[in-house]
Amino acid sequence: MAVKIRLRRMGQKKAPFYRIIVADSRSPRDGRFIEEIGTYDPSTDPSTFKIDEELAKKWLANGAQPTEVVGKLFKAAGIEK
Amino acid sequence: MGASMLFLKRRGKPAMEKIFEQALLYDFYGDLLTEHQRQVYEAAIFNDMSLSEIATEQGISRQGVHDLIKRCDKILQDYESKLHLVERFEVAKQKITTIEGLTKIEGAVTEKDLSERLYKIRTLTKDLLDTL
Repeated sequence: MAVKIRLRRMGQKKAPFYRIIVADSRSPRDGRFIEEIGTYDPSTDPSTFKIDEELAKKWLANGAQPTEVVGKLFKAAGIEK
Repeated sequence: MGASMLFLKRRGKPAMEKIFEQALLYDFYGDLLTEHQRQVYEAAIFNDMSLSEIATEQGISRQGVHDLIKRCDKILQDYESKLHLVERFEVAKQKITTIEGLTKIEGAVTEKDLSERLYKIRTLTKDLLDTL
């Protein structure tokens, strides 16, 4: 089973923020996810990125694929496999 | 979340901010896109789906998804360059946040400080009214 780490938009109109979730690649839309590992709020200045580093590393080590945006967030936070 | 929680406050890099800009533009002008455009665009910016995932879901080519998202970006940006709703929203939000901050008083405060705060608030509300 392919597992992805991706953003999911939350928040009301005009006030977006994102959860960073671990989910099966086959269910990107239906709202199900395996685990929430952080949040990203770009509307604050500067933007706020909270991540459970241990969980992120664990999922990366298990072969979970971060999306491009999540990969960049991880890189900025110094999280690598 | 675990004990090793990393807490970062940093200015976002442009690439990470892109999805946020797209989301804001979509919130303001998304209703002006077609149903099909909305479906694809939402998949990309709300669910962070990859081009190939969207292509499979929609039954179109990866290149087709890429072009469609590019086209939507352009349509939304064209609306913004004419109407400036997002820009005006951001400016208003900034000013209101500043006003909110000025109303928060901690500890002893002098008469002079109070009147300065009131003056600043008045200036900001006047600005806000002028841009309506």
